[in-house]
Amino acid sequence: MISFRRTRAMARKEFLHILRDSRSLYLALMLPVVQLILFGYALSLDVDRIPILLFDQDRSPQSREMLAQFRGSRFFTVLGDIESYQPGEYAITSGTAMAVLVVPRRFGEDLAAGKQVPVQLLLDGSDSNTASIALGYARAMVAGYSNQLRTEYQIRNGAGEIKPPVDPQIRVMFNSELKSKNYIVPGLIAVILMILASMLTSLAIAREWENGTMEELLSTPVRASELALGKLSAYFILGALDTVTIVLAGVYFFGVPLRGSALVLGISAGIFLFGAMSWGLMLSAITRNQLQANQLGLLSSFLPAFLLSGFVYAIDSMPALPRFMTYIVPARYFVAMMKGVFLKGVGMELLWGEGLLLLLYATVVFVILTRKLRQKIA
Amino acid sequence: MTPHENTVIIDKLVKRFGDFVAVDDVSLTVKRGEIFGFLGPNGAGKSTTIRILCALLAPTSGVATVAGYDVAREPEAVKLHIGYMSQKFSLYDDLTVGENIEFFSGIYGVPRDIRDERRAYALRMAGLEEKEQTKTSLLAGGWKQRLALGCAILHQPPVVFLDEPTSGVDPLARRAFWDLINELSHAGHTVFVTTHYMEEAEYCHRVALMYRGRVISLGTPHDLRKQLRSDTLPEPTMEDVFVSMIEREDAALAGGKS
Amino acid sequence: MNFERIREIIVKELRQSFREPRTRALMFIPPIIQFLVFGFVVNLDVERSKLAWYDQDNSPASRELRASFESSEYFIVTNTPSNPAELQDLMDRESVHSGVVVPPGFAEDLARGRSTRIQMLVEGTNSNTASILVNYASDIVRTYSSGRMVDLITQKRMARGGQIAKMQAPGIDLQQRVWFNPELKSRNYFIPGVAVNIITIVTLMLTAMAIVREKEIGTMEQLMVTPIKPIELMLGKTLPFAVVGLFDLTLIVILGILVFRIPFAGNAFLLLGASILFLFTTLGVGILISTVSNTQQQANLSTFFFFQPAFMLSGFAFPIRSMPEPVQWLTMVNPLRYFVEICRGVFLKGSGFDVLWPQFAALAVFGFCIITFSALRFHKRLD
Repeated sequence: MISFRRTRAMARKEFLHILRDSRSLYLALMLPVVQLILFGYALSLDVDRIPILLFDQDRSPQSREMLAQFRGSRFFTVLGDIESYQPGEYAITSGTAMAVLVVPRRFGEDLAAGKQVPVQLLLDGSDSNTASIALGYARAMVAGYSNQLRTEYQIRNGAGEIKPPVDPQIRVMFNSELKSKNYIVPGLIAVILMILASMLTSLAIAREWENGTMEELLSTPVRASELALGKLSAYFILGALDTVTIVLAGVYFFGVPLRGSALVLGISAGIFLFGAMSWGLMLSAITRNQLQANQLGLLSSFLPAFLLSGFVYAIDSMPALPRFMTYIVPARYFVAMMKGVFLKGVGMELLWGEGLLLLLYATVVFVILTRKLRQKIA
Repeated sequence: MTPHENTVIIDKLVKRFGDFVAVDDVSLTVKRGEIFGFLGPNGAGKSTTIRILCALLAPTSGVATVAGYDVAREPEAVKLHIGYMSQKFSLYDDLTVGENIEFFSGIYGVPRDIRDERRAYALRMAGLEEKEQTKTSLLAGGWKQRLALGCAILHQPPVVFLDEPTSGVDPLARRAFWDLINELSHAGHTVFVTTHYMEEAEYCHRVALMYRGRVISLGTPHDLRKQLRSDTLPEPTMEDVFVSMIEREDAALAGGKS
Repeated sequence: MNFERIREIIVKELRQSFREPRTRALMFIPPIIQFLVFGFVVNLDVERSKLAWYDQDNSPASRELRASFESSEYFIVTNTPSNPAELQDLMDRESVHSGVVVPPGFAEDLARGRSTRIQMLVEGTNSNTASILVNYASDIVRTYSSGRMVDLITQKRMARGGQIAKMQAPGIDLQQRVWFNPELKSRNYFIPGVAVNIITIVTLMLTAMAIVREKEIGTMEQLMVTPIKPIELMLGKTLPFAVVGLFDLTLIVILGILVFRIPFAGNAFLLLGASILFLFTTLGVGILISTVSNTQQQANLSTFFFFQPAFMLSGFAFPIRSMPEPVQWLTMVNPLRYFVEICRGVFLKGSGFDVLWPQFAALAVFGFCIITFSALRFHKRLD
């Protein structure tokens, strides 16, 4: 049976270490907030102010009217007007402009004659996502102008005003303003906590080995599970403190809506921290070399939490093997839960699956951790 | 350089680390070919002095010249003319004996035409002719030290600094190591060596006793022992000399304070 | 500078790194595995997005609209809920990304020439994916609607006894010409960035340990008493890893072209030149970290604290254009930013030196400064 007294002694000792080591304490408390504020401020996926060049070959009232819509749009920044294709092509190649809109000759004339007229959009497709969105904006603007012309034409020709027969009412749920911050910040919180967990635990063990106190500890009657739990609980308190600070920073500093229950958020963050910290401790228990454990810890926390968690890249679109790998990335479950609680306002009734898998992950890692520690103690 | 010329000259050398005075007004000279022993307990300032002489540390005040070069002003020139072996074994464990020798020959810029000869000399001196292909980590402590010494003299430096070369080595190997030092001295190298094994002081031409950053006694082992000879102690050892010197120093300090 | 001494350091580093099969493998296998895994992951394409179709009308007209959604490559109808609660639940669970609600009387309204509304719900947690879905859906509905409109006008005219021919109406048709990545595959855009980041980690980790390891085991003191110059030591320590990094990069580029079918439009030698410049910047940063650190643990943490912001602010996943202006200035001192730009330029656009020279210049300046700075920062003294 686990002795509560020994576990508590272990935790208290660990906690004293943390309090005395002001540099690490400072690092552990400040770093997550600083990171969240820096990256939360810096990173955005909003597509607006797309740099565009206009090439008006017609210079008719109609062409000017259409281009005026682009000039006034917040989605586009008109860099200038060009007189030939060449500067436009160069601007796209060098990356100064993302798009060039070309209005052909006889644009106004043909429109007045009731003809179908093409305009051309040259687009830098290398950043496919931005390009898709830019293309959507351009299409919508051209279509809007086109409809307006059509209606005018029909009225002029006595057909009466005809509204478009189908009018789509599009409602964006959960993030109605389509602000990328609203999903970047919850995702960042998961990535930052993952890094913190791995860093704290690897420091914890490295110190014991460096000071030679690990051998000392291993010779006492303390059991593997007590050792693990004791260490974990001390760092857990620190991690919990961090979680509260960065969630508050996310909500009050970045204005990310917290629609769901803070309790559900707290519970999922708790399980997540426990799992992530056990993972860090486990790495230092299975690698002989502390430096390796440290490197592995950082490698296995940051990039997977960023790339395999569904934070930026949707898990749905991954091929089978990487998708399978996401199941061993705890950030995957946590990101889903964070998004659910923050943006959707859903609770455990929908998130229990993720919660359970996260708990399973934490348990499995903890069991491996105590096993490996026991082997060392024996 | 003529024989008996001073190759190491230390004049009023001081080294402070913050408030702590590690080397306190030390002055001495060492002649060419001499085996000069630096004795004292741990923390007496021996290693700090040696590191200053090797231009690894800058002196706080005072002057030191090695082989004619000022350690503070011409550190790179000093480094061309010295060999150094630190108290911690500091060759590459994961290279073979031969590779270590090759590496240091290259770094010291030993001329190509004599490189093979120096290599053979170092191997022979260290007694490692058979083990050229052996990984250094597999050598026993005494052999490692001999290899380190071999590597430190590849470029035939006029002065060799050995910082506790025999610590942690078994007595037999220590004895063999001192034979090597003697050999170096005969070949004209000045050897500046620190140790805390008192019996090793006997092998030095001259010794300085260092305590709390100061040289409290300097002379040949014979002279030092003679000073202490009395009826109760007709045959004092270096250890006796050492203990009585330190007691006297402590008493003087206590007296000075009260 | 003494080239013999540089050579000796290089030979020594190579011997130490390549002797053990394990360390040898560590230099090549993890980067390749990471590249393969992450390469498959970095995909933001919106295709075959799951759509719930809640049809309250169930008429030929509504089925026609559904067919035009399904015939696009962007949507597949995975669920057909029968009440609003079911639709809401599907959305909450993320079982579908969007839902369309066709109101009762849809067909009738259309037939009578009344404007009718359909409702579309889009899951917006990922704002960009949502924008793209909204664009696609609007396009589909617009096309459907225009078709209906032309029918309607024709009907009206016929009713007034006009000709049977369809009425002419002006319209503007936007024809896009997408350059460099005509299929708009996001992977083509991200994979060069993945390669850059993996190479950065490998080279940083190799060199960040280079000097501090020698400090810890004590061999640095031995080196310090030799006549070696700091710059010789720096170059000797970086050159072998530059070769390793270049080898890794070549492997990764070949894999990118063969496995991920990334178009390679540019000049391979230009990329090689840029890679060499870039490797000197990351190796320089590694060496600098190694010089200022006292323990390997410190070096490791510092490496991480350099890499993380460098990664986030490289323009790899988050476009630099969308960052606030002060942060955009900050990215000017990020060598990753320039190399990501060069890689994307060379791979996708086939850009030449005439276009990319500012990035080349920035890398060269950064690399030169950082190596010089570490050499200056490295003292052959212990205090």
